[in-house]
Amino acid sequence: MLEPVMFTGGLYKHDLVVELVEDLGGYILQKNVTQTEIILLILVPSEDLAALQGLAKELRGELVRAPLAGTEVAVVTPTLAIHHLPHTACDIAEYLRRHGSKTNMLGLARGVGREIAQINEYETALINEHDAAVFIFGNFRDCIIKKESLYRNMSVPVVVTGGPEVDSKDLPYAFEYVSSIGRVAHRARKATEIGSLDRIVEAVGRALDKTRAAISKDPLTTSPPRIMDAVREQVPDIEFSYSPLPIALNLNGIRVKLPYEAYKDAVKAVTFDEGVKLGEIATVMPSRMKDYILVRILPASETGFVF
Amino acid sequence: MDPMEVFKIAVTGEEEFAARKYRELIMDILQDLGLIRSIGRLYVYVDIKKPYFAVYGLLRSGIPPLTVKSVGDVLRVSGGYQIKINDEEHMADLLRVLWEHYGRERVEQPARDIVIIASDTSPSELMVADLEAEFLQDLTDALVRITPEGFRNRRNIITKDSFLFIAAEESLTAEMVSEIKAKIREMENA
Repeated sequence: MLEPVMFTGGLYKHDLVVELVEDLGGYILQKNVTQTEIILLILVPSEDLAALQGLAKELRGELVRAPLAGTEVAVVTPTLAIHHLPHTACDIAEYLRRHGSKTNMLGLARGVGREIAQINEYETALINEHDAAVFIFGNFRDCIIKKESLYRNMSVPVVVTGGPEVDSKDLPYAFEYVSSIGRVAHRARKATEIGSLDRIVEAVGRALDKTRAAISKDPLTTSPPRIMDAVREQVPDIEFSYSPLPIALNLNGIRVKLPYEAYKDAVKAVTFDEGVKLGEIATVMPSRMKDYILVRILPASETGFVF
Repeated sequence: MDPMEVFKIAVTGEEEFAARKYRELIMDILQDLGLIRSIGRLYVYVDIKKPYFAVYGLLRSGIPPLTVKSVGDVLRVSGGYQIKINDEEHMADLLRVLWEHYGRERVEQPARDIVIIASDTSPSELMVADLEAEFLQDLTDALVRITPEGFRNRRNIITKDSFLFIAAEESLTAEMVSEIKAKIREMENA
């Protein structure tokens, strides 16, 4: 089993970490260089974790478990106006990132108000491309219950956050409700506020576990990190993508950040050592995000094999 | 402790949490914009079922306009007046006012904080900035920030010593406005 971890350390000699992970049969999911610091999101076989820990210690780096690594979470606010941003939304997004998730912030076009809140088909489909969503609501209990219509049609688990205590039976469409994180006009700094952020991370973790459990009942033909590695190797133009994360990992596939029309055939033609082409074991379709390519791996029940 | 004399907030229904949280939020926003000392009393009434949001406030005594002598020392020198600027915050406004009043050719700035004017009339009493107008602008900005975002039908009635800000999702009707005024009067008299 692969263990998700995050390495934080100096840029100097970080390639030793990359080499070791590759030798152990793990994957580098994300590499963030900030001046002389580097943050690596890594999947490493759990039995070899000690070797990586040893190297991290030698390099004076820090290795922590990143339970949300390899997943993409949407942080959804009713709009992108000053009322909802920056404090709560950015705190939640940043906190999820620190636990390894790839977080996208989404402001709805017409999500405001009690009676007038709406979500359109495009927004719903875009959120459904993620592995889980966090909907950030405000301080009025009545509004939180009323605004259920915004996430009723989501197929991914939705964690709802708001200020007051709301009984979960009042929110039947939410995966979980996390209270005491409603609308605030300051950054989360008190211990109780940080505690609420921890509860959101835990709730998102449980939501992802539920999806993982659902997938394990009918396993995917191959694992998303493996596809990511193969695409990175066989579609070299991905290195020229301006995105900070050119290939985003989901639990059931990947998003390749290259134009769909120009690169769909190259992505479908990616071949694995077993002789199978990516087009045969996955659906390659246009993503709702810009004109990127969305790859969804087919389950074993459709392809008849797992490798 | 609240810096205001009175700060009451009432929300209909089972929304004690919202009332408490909006109290913090309003304090945060007023503090951010430096308005808290200028408001004496504040009454907030929210009916989330209708829904509307109303804020009524009494302002502390008016703020005098900022004059040249309050941003710097004015000295009589040969051939005119010299201003030694102490408060650079309003420098741009000061230069604009001096240029408009005396003309650019008679205003000289030999150093960053020194302005010399070639004129016999003293600039001491010239108005640099209308702080009251700035305050009212900031106040409106604060009220828009405080109001829940979907409440886009707004009415802002500002008098010399008070303001009443009403925001609702639906169109504001005369009945709604008079109902809000009555509710706020009740809060005042309670």
